[in-house]
Amino acid sequence: MKRPPLTTVVVLLLLIGTYLYSAGRLVLRRGPAVVDPSIEVIRYAHWQIEPGVREAFNEIAADYMALHPKVRVEQMDIPGRAWKQWLRTGLIGGTAPDLVELASYENPDDMLARYFTPITSYLEQPNPYNADEPDLRGLSWRQSYTAELVPVEGVHYFSTNLLEYYGAPSAMVTVRMFYNRRLIQEAIGEDRPPRTYDEFVALCAALQRHADVTHEFVAPLAGSWFNVTQITDGLFSAASQRVALTLDISHDLEMSKVEGLVNYARGRWSLTTPAIRTGLQTVEAFGRYLPPGWSQLNREDAMMQFLQGRAAMLATGTWDAGGILSQADFPVGAFKMPAFRRDDPKYGRWTLGPMSEANTFAGVPFGLTRTSRHPERAIDFLRFLTSRKSNAKFSRISTWLPVIKGVPVPKVSESFRPVEEGYVGGVNIRFFSGEANQVVLQYLYLLSGNAASADAFIAQTRGPFDRAFRGELDRLARVSRETLRQKDSVLAGLYQLEVGTGLGRAKFDRLAANQLTVEAERLRSLRTLADYPGK
Amino acid sequence: MKGIIALGFAVGVHAAPVADEGWQELAGYLFRDAHDAFTREPAGADRRRALGAAASLLNEPPVSPGKVADVEAQLRQLLADNAADEPAIYARYLLARIAHLHRPAETAEIEAAYRAVITAAPAHPLAQLAAGKLALVLLYQRPDLPVPARIAAAAELAPVAGSAQLPETACIYYRVLAEAALYYDMLDERALGWLQRADAVGPQDVMTATSLRIQLAEVARALGHREAALGYYRSYLATAAPTDSRYHTVAERMADLAKEAK
Repeated sequence: MKRPPLTTVVVLLLLIGTYLYSAGRLVLRRGPAVVDPSIEVIRYAHWQIEPGVREAFNEIAADYMALHPKVRVEQMDIPGRAWKQWLRTGLIGGTAPDLVELASYENPDDMLARYFTPITSYLEQPNPYNADEPDLRGLSWRQSYTAELVPVEGVHYFSTNLLEYYGAPSAMVTVRMFYNRRLIQEAIGEDRPPRTYDEFVALCAALQRHADVTHEFVAPLAGSWFNVTQITDGLFSAASQRVALTLDISHDLEMSKVEGLVNYARGRWSLTTPAIRTGLQTVEAFGRYLPPGWSQLNREDAMMQFLQGRAAMLATGTWDAGGILSQADFPVGAFKMPAFRRDDPKYGRWTLGPMSEANTFAGVPFGLTRTSRHPERAIDFLRFLTSRKSNAKFSRISTWLPVIKGVPVPKVSESFRPVEEGYVGGVNIRFFSGEANQVVLQYLYLLSGNAASADAFIAQTRGPFDRAFRGELDRLARVSRETLRQKDSVLAGLYQLEVGTGLGRAKFDRLAANQLTVEAERLRSLRTLADYPGK
Repeated sequence: MKGIIALGFAVGVHAAPVADEGWQELAGYLFRDAHDAFTREPAGADRRRALGAAASLLNEPPVSPGKVADVEAQLRQLLADNAADEPAIYARYLLARIAHLHRPAETAEIEAAYRAVITAAPAHPLAQLAAGKLALVLLYQRPDLPVPARIAAAAELAPVAGSAQLPETACIYYRVLAEAALYYDMLDERALGWLQRADAVGPQDVMTATSLRIQLAEVARALGHREAALGYYRSYLATAAPTDSRYHTVAERMADLAKEAK
């Protein structure tokens, strides 16, 4: 008998081995629900793969399972790059987990309406897992949150169009400057974060001198477009707070994006407005200390520079704190970027002072999917997750800020705490539109290096910004027309559902009021574009 | 005979949940599902259901000019069959909205359509909605009128647009008047009065309520009503949400104003 060739044997063995391995994995995989139908399986998905977060969620899930042995809680951490497609596929296919992290930019109203269950009524009941907390037991779940989940535009847990809560948040983050304490100590002789903007620029200069003297290539700042804009956003805004108040058409002390665009089209401010120019000059002041080629780098590159000791400071969100603290082999500090003083001769003329972070809203909200097989159990786990005890544990392990009343901020996260005693923001040219953001990113390099020049930036970007701002006003009018049209149908539904029980103050009335507000803003924008056609 | 009665009963029992399902879907932005629910069976003499079919088709994806024209035809048919009942009032309102927002139309046609809703049933909640929308047309879509005339014409709609039956809508109507005056740089006593009326209605939304108090304070201040401005600032500070980043700015502006008079 002829023996089969060796390669055939190897391939066959590989196939058999692969089959056995897969079969073994299937048999041994964790999944009691497969074999025990009495086990309730709750799956929750998020994209927060930063170190510390998964561990915190796991510990809380373990606590819950210890309390409820007939429940299995499974965490699904999906990388951000795959999240959108993964979620859509799951929702459409009816295979989405019970609880899903929500974000207003990921979950449009139609998706919320179709695939998620409103949790407003749950939030208005007490959280039973706070029953042992004397100060919380009489409050509703919503009221147990530090800021009581104020339903405003832009938050991830509430839909201002559907007028319902869809998510229960777990954490809060801010933006801070992380620094290598050892390098700062070496450069300036003391471990002390800067208290003013001038001190910050002086620190950058001292770090640069120290690097020159020691011949060690250590940049004062870790650079990437993302990390640098974390600094410039605050500077642009702080330098122009007084101007923003003059552009606030509605006199509510908050210049909205549309108000800024309308007044730009009306010629009431431009890039050459002194306060706006000053904002650019503030970047010019520290931009010379950015490492060469920074504008081509991304977040991960900047993080690597900092963690390898090749940059002394890194501006980023406190969501990165867990990763920084666990991976850095040097002591790390953090500070809020200092503001200019009002009497600052260079930058202080149009500033009010440090910007308030009071409106930092609670994030990482989980929403309940309509396909959940155990919706009441999923809500129960969500209540457990956001109880005072669990939120304290989450905050301690992840270093992210807590969101429940009375939960102490971990010592390591103390400098991340939102500063509430500050002023309203100013004019941030990057925030007006996606296109304006691209213009900033494309030309920000002109504000860095030894030839940094605000005037060069203005000369290059005046035309692109002009097109971007006017285009955005037009785009917003078109987008809001679509949502206004939809509300015409939605109001018809609400009218029929509520007319029997009274329309006043009901959803019909509130949505009609919302529609009137949005429509007024839209028509005001169109009036502006018609009256001020531009060049 | 018994069978026919039983069948009729069964259809009747079945029809109500289907209609409710349709309105629920419509209220939840699920336009296609709503349209399916309303058109699963012929509407026949059920005028509410015919209205639901038209209202859901208006936004059923993909939205197209052809569908909008179909909806208009269906709504006009509803009106032709009976011009005075509830579905007719709603049909008239939707026709005005279609002219205003869903297809191109001349301003005169839009105005006439809204006025038709108001004239047909001035005390109806939909007349209040129509009056609010008409105010917007007058404020921002009548460049042929001088600015003071635009504002005056919109303000004349107050008896209907500011009706107490829809307090949230009334509040925003008054606020819209005030903000139009501010947009046109006509900061005067009337703007303050409209803001006061909006505040008196008392919006439920905490951010709208607190923003109104700041607007009142700032407008009163600009008009030289120092004591009133201080009172509004105080009222804001007492009710501001913890997440309101304007708190410190308001406190300082109040302190500055208080000092000014000393």
